[in-house]
Parts: sequence; structure tokens; C-alpha cells
Amino acid sequence: MWWYLLKRLALSVVIILLAVAALFLMLHSIPGDPVSIALGPRATPEVQAAYAAKMHLDKPLYYQFLIFAGNVLQGDLGSDVFSNRSVALTLSEQLPYTIALAVAALGWAALVGIPLGCLSAIRPNSWLDRITGIISVGTIAVPSFLVSIWAILLFSITLRWLPVIGAGEEGDILSQLRHLILPAFAVGLGWVGYLARMVRASMLEVMGENYIRSARAFGLRPRTIVFRYALKVAILPTITLIGVGFGGLLSGTVFAEIIFSRPGVGKIIYDMVLARNFPVVQGAVLVTIALYVVVTLIADLMVSWLDPRVRESL
Amino acid sequence: MTALLDIRSLNVDFRTPRGRVHALRDVSLQVPKGKIVGVVGESGSGKSTVIWTVTRLLAANGVVESGEAIFDGQDLLTYPEPRMQEVRGEKVSMVFQDPMTSQSPVLSYGQQMTDILYRRPEPDAEKMRRAVEMMRRVGIPDPESRIAQYPHQFSGGMRQRAGIAMALLMDPMLLVADEPTTALDVTMEAQIIHLIRELQREFEATIMVVSHNLGLIAELCDEVVVMYAGEVVEHGDVRDIFYRAAHPYTRALLECDPAREMTRTRLLPVIPGDIPDLHIKPTGCVFAPRCPKAMVVCRERQPDAHTLEGGHATRCHLLDPGLAEGPVAQAEHTAPEAVSEGPRSSGAPLLEVDHLSVRFRIMGALKARVKGVQEPFVDAVLNASLTLKRGETLGLVGESGSGKTTLGRAVLGLAEAHLGNVTFEGRDVLGLSPAAFKPLRRDMAMMFQDPVGSLSPRQTVRALVTEPFEIHGLSKGRLDEEAERLCDMVRLPLNFLSRYPHELSGGQARRVGVARALALNPKLIIADEPTAGLDVSVQGEILNLMGELQREHGLGYLIISHNLPVVRHISDKLAIMYLGRLVERGDSEAIFARPAHPYTEALVGGVPQPDPDKRRALVSIEGEVPSLASRPSGCEFHTRCKYATERCRAERPGDTVLGDGRIVTCHHPLTD
Amino acid sequence: MNPSDIPAPAPDPVRTGAAERAYSVRREKLILFLRNPQGMLGLFLVIMFFASAIFAPVFATHDPLTMDIPNRLSGPTADHWAGTDQLGRDTYTRVLYGGRVALEVAAIGVSVSLVIGLVLGMVAGFGPTWLDNLLLLIFDAIRSFPTVILALAAVALLGPSLKLVLAIVIVTSIPSYARLARTSTLALKRTEFILAERSLGASTPRILARHIMPNVIGPLLILSAMDVPVVVTIEAGLSFLGLGVQPPTASWGTVLNEGYLIIRDTPWMVIAGGIPLVLTTLGFTFLGEALRDIFDPKLRKGR
Repeated sequence: MWWYLLKRLALSVVIILLAVAALFLMLHSIPGDPVSIALGPRATPEVQAAYAAKMHLDKPLYYQFLIFAGNVLQGDLGSDVFSNRSVALTLSEQLPYTIALAVAALGWAALVGIPLGCLSAIRPNSWLDRITGIISVGTIAVPSFLVSIWAILLFSITLRWLPVIGAGEEGDILSQLRHLILPAFAVGLGWVGYLARMVRASMLEVMGENYIRSARAFGLRPRTIVFRYALKVAILPTITLIGVGFGGLLSGTVFAEIIFSRPGVGKIIYDMVLARNFPVVQGAVLVTIALYVVVTLIADLMVSWLDPRVRESL
Repeated sequence: MTALLDIRSLNVDFRTPRGRVHALRDVSLQVPKGKIVGVVGESGSGKSTVIWTVTRLLAANGVVESGEAIFDGQDLLTYPEPRMQEVRGEKVSMVFQDPMTSQSPVLSYGQQMTDILYRRPEPDAEKMRRAVEMMRRVGIPDPESRIAQYPHQFSGGMRQRAGIAMALLMDPMLLVADEPTTALDVTMEAQIIHLIRELQREFEATIMVVSHNLGLIAELCDEVVVMYAGEVVEHGDVRDIFYRAAHPYTRALLECDPAREMTRTRLLPVIPGDIPDLHIKPTGCVFAPRCPKAMVVCRERQPDAHTLEGGHATRCHLLDPGLAEGPVAQAEHTAPEAVSEGPRSSGAPLLEVDHLSVRFRIMGALKARVKGVQEPFVDAVLNASLTLKRGETLGLVGESGSGKTTLGRAVLGLAEAHLGNVTFEGRDVLGLSPAAFKPLRRDMAMMFQDPVGSLSPRQTVRALVTEPFEIHGLSKGRLDEEAERLCDMVRLPLNFLSRYPHELSGGQARRVGVARALALNPKLIIADEPTAGLDVSVQGEILNLMGELQREHGLGYLIISHNLPVVRHISDKLAIMYLGRLVERGDSEAIFARPAHPYTEALVGGVPQPDPDKRRALVSIEGEVPSLASRPSGCEFHTRCKYATERCRAERPGDTVLGDGRIVTCHHPLTD
Repeated sequence: MNPSDIPAPAPDPVRTGAAERAYSVRREKLILFLRNPQGMLGLFLVIMFFASAIFAPVFATHDPLTMDIPNRLSGPTADHWAGTDQLGRDTYTRVLYGGRVALEVAAIGVSVSLVIGLVLGMVAGFGPTWLDNLLLLIFDAIRSFPTVILALAAVALLGPSLKLVLAIVIVTSIPSYARLARTSTLALKRTEFILAERSLGASTPRILARHIMPNVIGPLLILSAMDVPVVVTIEAGLSFLGLGVQPPTASWGTVLNEGYLIIRDTPWMVIAGGIPLVLTTLGFTFLGEALRDIFDPKLRKGR
């Protein structure tokens, strides 16, 4: 177990470092002089030189990278070009909104999708299975940004049930929740179908295994067979899928944050890209990648903890 | 005599995209209380379908067309599912073929066994105590702690013991065992047969065993039902079946079993032809197309059941009244005439393996360092030496994990050797680069274990058999001729050339494998389990073909197998392997007649005899093969050897040469 | 279409025995496919997608760029079947032309990433362990960038363009193809028939090309059918954010974006811009699933 944990952690760190390096190189391939971008065209040469020295722009590339990587590891993501505010601080304000949205979306999708998948796997080709199949494909077929737009059209503009813009009043939980409903619905909808189909497929596969037939041959209750013997195995690939698919979920939150004008990491990236405020973009991208890596790590560890075959061999 | 289970005129179909397969037709059989009944048949006989029909666990496309399964006075086939669920486990329980896949991988044995006891109104602690008791009863050491373990932590034999414990937990009225030993090695098989017999006596259980293994049926059963292509062709007392078989299929099947022939014949009896296509209901006798005694009436009309004395009954037109021949008391010996034994082996050694060792890395270098493991390797082959002459057959025998396959692969450079030498025709071949080895591959060919799986799935038979020529840039433009020549040689009809591997039966695929191996006229063929995956009636065909080709072309064979009876029929010499070491080498007859190593003795004694009067009272060998990662000290066999002494535990034995030239690696060879 | 109406191919008198059997297996699968209602619906939608994009000028009622200010922001009328945008351009025509962008991105993106993924996956699966590990690490690192965020970062640096969208599509799709190819290759590498080929002296390129690729490519092609919607969605999404196709060129994403800006005035644009996206996704998903269920039931668990 410890060996696996160690290996998996090392891998995560390497992936984050690779991402940091890629970002660093990308930023350095920006056409134009970073100093004049940062300070504008009218800065005096002295001010420019001072800025370059402060940002280590006069040093060789690898040196800049080491400083950059070192700062990142210390949690220093640089500062806003315009306001000189700490990027880390800005992001720490935005991150909770994104996490809340992601958790809400994934949560409702799992609560609906996993039971749906189980039910349709228990009776394949029943009417429930067919309806679930149609719902699944239907929800997968509509991209999340389209769901967002259509949801606004239906629930906010036509029916006027729910608010469109923003994340709600600060401190007002009820208002915040009301503002969370539509974005979470939009981001999670595709996942309902995705999870239902995934669970159904892996349940069907497990239900065909010899040990399920043995359990039936020993006369166990269908309930016990489904939940203890089948689901316990079938859920494992689903957990891995959630981990891997989390990147896609984050893409969904970016669209939702932009369309619903919600604060969040995605919205920040979008706004700052348009404003060419690179330190913030860079920091925010790093934070999202780190988030993704952490989630896949958790998913992997959960799977290996739940499966005794893996648990022992580690 | 009351039958606990009485199956009457059962007809079962399977719906497939190509129409219905009539898997069981008019199957009737009885399982009397307190008896062990064996259902024997080759693949496709429908023997397993009978079990799944009775337990109502047929695959979703299975349809019971008609028939009854009267169990304890009531027809199981009419039960609604909840009531059937009460019967399963409680009254009818099962032992499965492959314990690895038939036990939940994510639940501990304790959990699985208390689950089975869910109907008992007693506290969990009491259920656990029962489970531990049953585990102890089936011979699992230290059951108190092992019950918390998972199936993957048990060895194959222990898993099957646990499977039997689970089946017996509810003290069922009927125990159904589906090929209970097929996934196990010979020595484990003997132990499980012994265990089932003991438990049957103790629990006075009624048991139905389904198997293709005649030896197991003869050792275990009181009554036998013989099935062929979805029909019961004969049933009766075990002695009636084995000594006075009346149906030509039963007789042929018994003759085909190589374990039955005590003399070395070199040519094995076979049943020509294939099992019929069950999409079409046969009009006449289902065995008629393959029957050596088929008459006109056999193809026209289905035979009636004829009852002989003592409940022995069969379905065959040969027993029709008014037929001149009458009941055939003795099997007509279709066994072929003995082959003249000329001077087969001659000259200089073809292949010499000298102190060969092969090791596998079990963990990465970094992990080994972190974990403080000095030697992150296991030795699959240790210090093995062999000599094979031209035209000679050497049988390499061992249980699974003995390293026999690895040895064969290392000779061909398909596994990397660690130490030692391999010379082929006097030339050192070990460690040659793939390019330098390539010309040698024309002279050294290999046949692989899985007949279908060793053929590239998206290639036609034509492409497969001509591929050796393409690889070696030979016979350009004459590939079609070569393909036809090879097909003729292995007696494969020419229209098979356009088939794909998945459209071939095991025997046909094996022929393609033989053709590929022979394509370039090699001098040496290494055959890994040449009869694996083949039915008894087909095994003989392949072995006969291989023998014939050997006589024609003077081939040297290295035959790797766990199947001792098969190997003894075709080998001139034997080498017995245990835990990567050769423990006994020498002349095949001599080794069989007087095994000198205790392990060889155990292997020879471990084969169940297809003869109900030769049941063994004792298990020939206890325990299981130790893990390669933790080799026992001294003689590696001492943990299971009944002759082991202090010296065996402390000191590794050297090679002893016996009077007849045999080499035995043992401190105390059995030489009396 | 009633499946029984399809004429059965006349039996070829030359085919006998085995050939007939192999032939009938193929025909059986074709019949299974023709009888699969989802598969047929999928095929129909996919053909629609191709036809509407290729023959967009034939089906179009207007020019995609011609403005008709008096009729701006109209709902569906006899002249403008799906209404007009704020400049009075015909939405139906613009959506048709938008399909061309989607087709271009899908065709190039999917085929290029399929080929690169196949090669990299086979190399990773068949090559030495260190190379396998390295490639896996790179695939994982790429996957760790959420697509939209990668696109945002790239656009920030290079400016929006269709080429960039294509590049992003290709880079982000390669890992899934490569992983699938690698998994299949790895499984095949351990099979006996590959060992048998080696025992005959077959070279590594021969084994890869003749014996591994034919077994790997099938699942990959099915995956590529299912991947088309993903690619189309990425293009539409990026264009919607103004990071892909630039106005005035029509794309489903730009139509949606323009519609979103005027969503309070007229709902027709976001509806008309979204429907082809949904139909295309449904079509390829249905088709891919039908193909998978018939030709490669084992793949069901792979994803």
C-alpha cells in the first residue's frame, strides 16, 4: 500500500511539474516583450530595466524556470499585472465557487445516475431500461453549454423561476443555493446519462461473472447479490471514470461560469485571457490542473482501497 | 430405490442469432438417494446444460421446451423463482469448475459463508463458528485466521476446498459438482476426489458429478450416465459402463482414454468425425455419422432405449431384437495395429540443454531497493539439462508452475535464459540476436498450448500456413501449392484454407498449428501441451498425426505436458520437472514401471484410473506446490515427500545415475 | 425501412463451405445492424450531417453573409425558415454553413488523432517498459489539462483561429486513442499467437503491421465514431466563447453566441443553433454504439 501511495504521489507531482513547465514555455513563447506588455509602451528604459530585474527577466531561461517553479511550490503564483494583487489570494477567493459548482453538479448526477444504472442493469431490456437508455443518450447528446443556454431560456426567461446571473448575495445561503441550481443542473446533466450507462455496462458485465451465478446457486437474496456481490465490483470502474472525467467536468464549469456570469476559476481565466493578464491566467490554470490531479489521485486511492485484490498486492 | 432427482424427457433449446440449438433432447436420468452419479461426456454433450436446467440458472437464451425435474417429489421446473431460491443452497448446492472465478473476489470467505447461512436464525458469531468448522472439515489448515482471507490469497487446491465447504455449509440434500477438478493439477485432483468421497460417506450426501474425465468418474461414482450431443446414450452401474459398455460411443470413448492402455501403443484409438450441428434435430441416431457399426436403420430412425440387466440401459439399434449381432458383449477393438518400432533415434544429439536457468524479475529495481529485497527474481528453471536425439521424443512433465513451458520457450530464445547453454546440432544458440536466430527457426519450430489462441485471429488458414515461407522469403509464387501440400499433410480439407481461426474446432485449429510448425521441414518441434483443449476422442488424432510425421521426416520432439498418460504413449524418454528443477530423467517405460523419485511416483499414482476396481485408498501426495518465491531448503520436494528425512531438509541432493541409465535427483531413490 | 424489404444478396455459386460460413457471419452482422433501430437512426442522422454540410449551397435559401436589416430578429417565416439574426442574416442558411466547419474539424481532427494515437499506442504497448511509462506520463499530463482551459491558454497566446481549434482537438484526442490502442496491444502482446509469430522468426514491424494492427484498429474506429460528437462540441464551444471561428464566418458556436447575446429578444437563434449539434451527437452516438454492440461487444467495458 505504501509503495503504491508513494508511486502514485510521485506521479502526480511529475504531472504537475510537466504542466508547470509547459505553461512556463508557453508564456515565454508569447510574441512581444513581456516588459512592455506588463508596463505598457510608455515606460522609461530605467523602469523597464528595474522591472526586468525584479521579475528575473534578465536571467537565463532555466534560471527563470527554477525561480518560477520554486515560487509555485511555495504557493506564490505571482501577482496581477494591473492591480499587483497576489494571484494566490484572488484564486483562493474564486476557487470555492468553482468547487461548490463541481461538487453540486457531480453530486446530483451521481445520486440520480448511479441508481438509474443499477436499476436498468437488474432488468436489462425492460421498459425502465429502455427509458433510462433514451434519457442517458439524450442527456449526453446535449453539450453542457447548450444545456446552460437552453436552461436560461426555459427556466429564467420563459418561466422566470430562477435567477440567471451571478452567484447570489454574499452571506445569503438561500440566494446562493438558488443561483447554484441552474449551473449545477447544466453541468451535471450529461453526467447523469454518462454515469447511468457506465454503471449499467459494468453491472451487466459483473452480473455475467461466475461468482454471481454461484451466489444465485447458493440461494442468496437478489438484493444481497446486487448490492454486496455485484455493485461492490461494478462501482470500481465508475469511480475511476469519475476521476478521469473530472477534467471534462471542469470544462463544463468554465462554460457555466461564463454563461451564468458566476465568479469562479473558469470565469477568471476567461476574463483574464481577454484582458491579457497572464500571471492570473497562469496561476488559475495551475490551480485547475492541481485540482484535477488531486481528484484522480483520490479516485485511484479509493479504488485500490475498495478492492482487496489491489489492496493486498500493493 | 428412490430417486432423489428424477429428470424426465428434458428438452432444452438455446436461442441464437442463427436459430435454435437443440442442446438437450429427451434427456432422462435419475439420481438415487445416497449415491454418487456421474454424468460423462465430451464438450458439446450438454452435460452442463443439465445442471443449469435443474438449478434453473440457465443462460437467458435457454428455453426448457418440455420435461420434468422431479426433486424430492416435486417438479423443480414449475417452481416460481422465490421458491426456487429457497431450494438453492438449502436443498441443492453446487461445487463449481473454476474456484477462482466462481468466488467473489472482493468478499472474504467469512463474509461469503455467513451470507450463505442467512436463512439460519442464529447470531453471526454462531454462523462464523459453523463456517470455521466446515473449513476445518474440508482440510483447510488454521481455518480461524484463514476465514478472514479472500479467494486470491488461497492456492488453487485450497480454493476448491473452500468451494466444497461453501456447498456443504447448509447440509444440502443434493450436491451438484460441475467438473470439480478440471482447473486443478493431477496431485490436487487426487486430493479433491478423495475429499469428496470422504465427505459423501460422512454426510451421506447424494452427489451428481459432471465431468469429461473418465478417471474421475470411475474413481468417484456409483452410477454413470453417458451423454453425446445432447442425448443420453447409455446409463448404468459404474462397472456396467466401464466393463460392459453396450453403446459404440461409450466403448469408443473408453478406448480413447490414454490412461486405460497400459501398454505403449504409439498409435491411439480415435473417433473420426465431429460432433453434429445441433441446429438441426437429428433424424436418426445422433452418433450414426461417426459410428463404425452404423447400419442403414441408424440413419433413418432414432433408436429406442433398451434395458439390459441391473438398470443398465442404452439407446442403440444394435440391440434391436431380430438383429443378428445381438448385444455386443466385448468392445470391438478398433485400436490400430502396433507400429513397427524401427531404430528411431540415432546419431549425434539434436538438442542439448546444459545447466539452463531462467529467472523472472518480480519487481522493479527501485521497488526492490525501497523494500530491501536483495534478489527481486524468481527462478522458473534451475540448472536443467536435457539431451534429445534426431527422431526421438522427449516428454517433459510437470505440474503447472513447474517451469516446463519456460524451459521450452528458453530453448527457442522466446524467454531469456539466465545461465547455461543450449546447443542445436552442435551450435550454441543461446543469446543469439533475433537476426542471427532467424535462419535457425527454419529448423526449430514450436507448437503452442492453445490451439485456437495461438493462431492470429484476423488471418485466413491459407495466410497462416504460408506465413513461414513469407517470413523466410521462400517458395515465392508457389505459396498456393505449399498451402495445399501442408493441408494434405495434416489431413485438413482444402476448403478450410479460406476459414478464420474462430471458425475452426479445437482439433482443426491444432492441425493448422501442426502445419505451420512443419511448413519449413524443421528438425525439432517443441510442442507445448499438444492435446490441451481437445476432447479425448480428438487427442488421439493429433498424437497419431504427430507420430506419423515423425516417422516420415525423422523429427525430434520435445513434448511439454502435464498429462502423464498421453506423454507415456508417445515418448521415448521422460524428464520430470518440479519447481524448475528436473528430478528424474530417463527411459519412458522404465520410469513408468519403477518411478525412482518420490515425486514421479506420486505423479504416476496421481492419475485416476478409468477402472472402478482400481480405486485408490490413499492420496498419493499431500500438500501443494510451494511458491517459487519461497523455495524450501535442501531437497525442494521434502515438504510433500513421505520419505523425507533430516538430510533432505538440510542438503540439496545431487544426481544419482541408476543401473538403467536413469538420472534421479534424490537422496533416497526408490530402487527396490 | 422494413428490414425484410432489403433484398438478400444473391448467393455466389463459387463460394463453398468455409467461405460461405465466413461470408454468412459477415452477412449475419450486417442483418443485425440493419435490424437495429438505433443504429439505423444513427446512420440516417450521420448521413444527414454529411449531406447537409457537403451540399450546404444546394440546400441553402440565402447567402450566409447577406444582411437583410428590415427583417432583422425575425422569428420563423416563409422566407426565413429559422428566423434572422440581429443583422438580418438567415439563421437556417448560417446553420447549414456552420455544419461545414463542424465537418471539417471532425474529419481532420478525428482522422489525424486516430492515426497518431494508433501509432503511439502500439509503440507504447509493444515497446520497452520505460518508453511505455514515458508515453503514459505524457498522455496523462495532456489529459490533466481540461480542454477548455487548454484552449483558453492557447488562444491567449496565439489568438483565435480554426487551425488552433483543430490543433487543440487533435492534441486532446490523441491520448484516448493511444490509451485504447496501448491497452489492446498490451493484451495482444501476451497472447500465444504473437509468441507463435516470434517463434517463426517474424520481425517486430511484421508482427505490428500484420498481426496487431488488424486487431487493434476495429475498436479504435468505433471509438472514433463516438469521438466525433466530442470534437464537434469542442469546436462549437470554443467558437461560442469567441475563441474559435471568427465572425462573420458561420459556425454552430458563433450562431449560438450571437443568439445568446440577444436571447431576451428572440429565442430562435439559440434553438436553431443547438438542434444540429444535438442531432449530430445523437447520430454518431447511436451509430457508434450499434457498431460496437455488433462488432465488438467486449469494448463495452473499455470506456
